[in-house]
Amino acid sequence: MTTAVDVEGLSFRYPGTQAGVHDATLSIAPGELVVCIGPSGCGKTTLLRLIAGFLVPDRGTIRLDGRDVSALPTRARECGVVFQSYALFPHMRVWENVAYPLRVRGVAPEERRRRALAMLDQVGLAGFADRLPAQLSGGQQQRVALGRALVFSPHALLLDEPLSALDAATRTTMRDEIRRIQREHGIASLLITHDQDEALSLADRIVVMRDGHIVQDAPPQTIYDAPADAFVANFVGRANLVDGVVTGPAAVDTSLGALVTREHALPAGAPLRLLIRPERIEIVDGTQGENALAARVLRDRFFGAARRVEVGVGQGRLEIETNARDTVQCIRIPRDAIQFLNDASNS
Amino acid sequence: MFLSRAWGYKLPRWIARFYLAYLAIPIVLLVVGSVGELWLNTLLPTGFTLAWYMQVAADPSFRRAFTASLAVAAIACAACVLAGLPLAYAIFRARSKVVRSLARVVYQLPVALPPLVLAFGFILVFSSDTLPWLGSIWLLAAGHVVLGLPYFLQTVVADMQRLGLRTLEDAAESLGSSGIQRFVHVVLPSLRHSILSGLVIVAALSLGEFQFSNLVAGFLNRTYPVVLLQAFYGATGFACAATVVLLLLALAAAIAGGAVSGSASRLRGVAA
Repeated sequence: MTTAVDVEGLSFRYPGTQAGVHDATLSIAPGELVVCIGPSGCGKTTLLRLIAGFLVPDRGTIRLDGRDVSALPTRARECGVVFQSYALFPHMRVWENVAYPLRVRGVAPEERRRRALAMLDQVGLAGFADRLPAQLSGGQQQRVALGRALVFSPHALLLDEPLSALDAATRTTMRDEIRRIQREHGIASLLITHDQDEALSLADRIVVMRDGHIVQDAPPQTIYDAPADAFVANFVGRANLVDGVVTGPAAVDTSLGALVTREHALPAGAPLRLLIRPERIEIVDGTQGENALAARVLRDRFFGAARRVEVGVGQGRLEIETNARDTVQCIRIPRDAIQFLNDASNS
Repeated sequence: MFLSRAWGYKLPRWIARFYLAYLAIPIVLLVVGSVGELWLNTLLPTGFTLAWYMQVAADPSFRRAFTASLAVAAIACAACVLAGLPLAYAIFRARSKVVRSLARVVYQLPVALPPLVLAFGFILVFSSDTLPWLGSIWLLAAGHVVLGLPYFLQTVVADMQRLGLRTLEDAAESLGSSGIQRFVHVVLPSLRHSILSGLVIVAALSLGEFQFSNLVAGFLNRTYPVVLLQAFYGATGFACAATVVLLLLALAAAIAGGAVSGSASRLRGVAA
């Protein structure tokens, strides 16, 4: 099966800075939704602008449906782009906005309107065709933008933080809507975001970026359960990161105390970093049993569905997420909740 | 507090009323004077007549000046669009922030420049044998462009930034439109309100401009305000009527501007 979007060794540096995208390699299968996530300035929007053709890469190739488009201008690339600010043409009616790609392709007026109306129907805006963009809410405007980006059957759909201008309630609805419409069209899509919830809930695959590099490219569950390094662990989900030293084939000495881990092949004395997700830590009655430790509560915050307790254990600290209401005196860290991260040497 | 609470509310209102009266009285007197038959040493003129207006309308030098003024304003407006739009676009698209702020300072400079200085400059340059264009209607318009362009650029560049024109263009480009199509389909129509209101300012400035025009205009191409000055040496009623004509022109420009920006805010109101 050919890939819809294929990016290889793509590099771009903003003149006079270190910022940009460095040697990015990425592919998106037909119908797949890849979410690119990272802190601001990590190069995720640059990556999208390179694929769309708004920026010219210093090195590397971009293929859409197998065709090398690296040298083509934006308008010849046939990518549907959805912008954070919607970028609807303020002087055109809703249907004219959606019909615009057809207009520049020379489709006859009646046919344009018919196809634009059909598309508006799909994005849930039937009956809004003759409004002006300014008369729509943010969520509705983004639906128009989505319809406009899909109406000409592009090779790929590129969404640049499409939800971050919306209020929290609309955002959740639109998130599901984007997923539904993307599925219906079976189009290869790249969505840029800095919101981990958005990434985890939307993506078929997540690409995590940092300082212009792709640091991990994996399905959401893998990103969460087996992050490539401390940065990914911290950026996606909440994380307790604990430094330790190997003391035996399944034992590690940490600031929390001695912990029993899964079997590993590391030599004794090797430094390593452990990841323990807050919701995996159990609240227990006593310190008997494997990895059961006494805890002092430092901070206890209640969020309704969840409760986050920060506790001091041994010389270290842990964050626990639980829905139990009991007072926390002892905690237990199940052996399989302890993951090894690969970057003990660097920060 | 030395003002009572009631006065604290009343005082600003009274100041506003006095100021309005101060603005209105000369205009009212002009209008009254323009239809008064005889106005010598009394507070108000006596009698009613439209004769002064007929005289202004019949006066060949006033008629010529009226057409010249309209022509100069029209040329200045056309030149502002032709030169101003690309300039505004270049300033808006400039990559470096330093270039953008420098450009802003440079294009705002003529605001601080007295028209008199500009006129002397023009006289020096255009009375030479190489460029003997002093007195032509084109040169007048050229001067008015220098005076009006800062306001036009300011209005249009601000609108480009507010609209996020760059993203609109990116969107159009990704949807497959060429450079010319983007300009005709997206750039021009989405800027039409600011272009129009910028032009209203340029037209109003050009119609009322005296300092520069008085020095640079040739004898045959004097603009309305320049000719108007002559009227003050003649009959009061005639001078009043001639001034009211200029006033009406300015009013027309202001109303046109108000109507344009009004419809613009209606169109964009909900998005804000």
